[in-house]
Amino acid sequence: MKFGKYVQDELFAIIAGVLFWLVLTVFFAFFYISFSFILFMTVLFLFFAISVLLWGFFRRRKFYNQLFQNLDRLDQKYLLLETLDKPDFYDGELLCQAFYEMEKSMCENVRSYQHSMNDFKEYIEMWVHEVKIPISSLLLMCHNNQDTIAPKYARQIRRLSQYTDQVLYYVRSEHAANDYVIKKEQLGKLVKKAVIQNKEDLLENKIDIHVEEIGQTVMTDGKWFEFILNQILNNSIKYKSDKRQPVIHIFAEDLPSMTILHVKDNGIGICEGDLPNVFKKSFTGENGRHHAKSTGMGLYIVKKLCKSLGHGIEIKSVAEEYTEVIFAFVKNDYYFIS
Amino acid sequence: MKKILVIEDDVAIRQELSELLENASYEAAVLEDFVNAKNAILAAGADLILLDINIPGLNGELLLREIRKETDVPVVMVTSRDSEADEVLSMSYGADDYITKPYNPTILLLRISAILKRAEHTASVCHYKDLCINSAKGVLKKGEEELFLTKNEMIILQVLLDKQGVIVSRDELMTALWDNNEFVNDNALTVNISRLRAKLAEFGYEDMIETRKKQGYLLV
Repeated sequence: MKFGKYVQDELFAIIAGVLFWLVLTVFFAFFYISFSFILFMTVLFLFFAISVLLWGFFRRRKFYNQLFQNLDRLDQKYLLLETLDKPDFYDGELLCQAFYEMEKSMCENVRSYQHSMNDFKEYIEMWVHEVKIPISSLLLMCHNNQDTIAPKYARQIRRLSQYTDQVLYYVRSEHAANDYVIKKEQLGKLVKKAVIQNKEDLLENKIDIHVEEIGQTVMTDGKWFEFILNQILNNSIKYKSDKRQPVIHIFAEDLPSMTILHVKDNGIGICEGDLPNVFKKSFTGENGRHHAKSTGMGLYIVKKLCKSLGHGIEIKSVAEEYTEVIFAFVKNDYYFIS
Repeated sequence: MKKILVIEDDVAIRQELSELLENASYEAAVLEDFVNAKNAILAAGADLILLDINIPGLNGELLLREIRKETDVPVVMVTSRDSEADEVLSMSYGADDYITKPYNPTILLLRISAILKRAEHTASVCHYKDLCINSAKGVLKKGEEELFLTKNEMIILQVLLDKQGVIVSRDELMTALWDNNEFVNDNALTVNISRLRAKLAEFGYEDMIETRKKQGYLLV
């Protein structure tokens, strides 16, 4: 709070004071009151006037400086009111009252959005579970009538199932509060499950899959990580190169502080310019435009899920050569305290 | 023939599941009235139960706990709820396995046969004609003569042995191999089968494995 500005604001009071002094002085002069008395009155008047001005300034400055400092330091600025001392002047009190009303109405607003988001999330989850029932029936029907139903139908149903899974995990990644259980999992088993899930697509696309012996255990949510691997394998299948025999190589390594899982393919790769953006929402890039149709959501969801689970994820790639997805699982003794 | 009880409220799935199980030469029974589920289940005397968690009017997890008080029959939970928490809960109530919809039918059958085998405590040694097959060691014995099979060949033979007299599709063999971390492709499967045949022929068992065109293989 600047003193100059404050003085400007109080200009009317100051002018009134000066006028009052002038009138008084002229009045005194009429009655031949001694000059020294007028001087004394003037000094006294000035002393009181300046005191009142400064007092008003300082008590406001204390409040407003705190207000702006806290506003600067807060990352959630709407909490400002809670951090302020109660002002001891009237206009400050009015301001706080207004703040309070604003905060309350905003909280109510946010709350109603939260409610509707939660309702929506619950509905989507329920819907996905419901829609999996007909998908299951269809898959079973295809399997039971293999001689009359061509495999292409089953393929489309599998796609349908993958897209519904994506919706489910998108919702979960946006509201990851209580949906996951982190426990000791055998990494090799999770990899196997994800690979078997994609068995038909891998075989149809004639992709060779090499999985090295993976004996490590990691702390993760099995279901979530299976979905993550599934997305990565889907991408490898989708973006295989037609110029060579497609191969996906999966292997793990053990470092002192973490376990690393590599999923490496020899597909079309990702061009250098696109690489920093692959985890961004709705980013499709060169590959999404020219090759397979892409929603740009898969890797975004994967990244978010990894973040919630506390796994590192990184993608290395050279266009036309390979794409390698690297997961890092931190080894933390904290988890093993029972 | 093993009897499998299907507890599932969706009629379409129920029918398809029984058909799938019957095609795989199991006897399939379905529970249609869920009012007195526990008694009906116990009365059915099944060798294995496929239990859906979401059945109107009763909670699959609680039902499982009730069943567990009475019998040790293997139970596979089948559900579209696929959170880790549900799985942990089901397993703690005594489920033998937990499979989420939409399941791959071949994998479902593989799991069922694995659990039934586990429940029977079958030894890893079985017999075919005058052959003695030790699958854990990968050795076939005829009197004093021994024949060593590779891991893949043994897996293939084991699946065929388990379903002796029934046609086994390539998909089933493939799934069994992949389930044992042998991610072979179509060509490799063909090669493995012909090697297995050649080895068996050398051992004096020609035409032990028959090919049924477009259907699969058959151990005769």
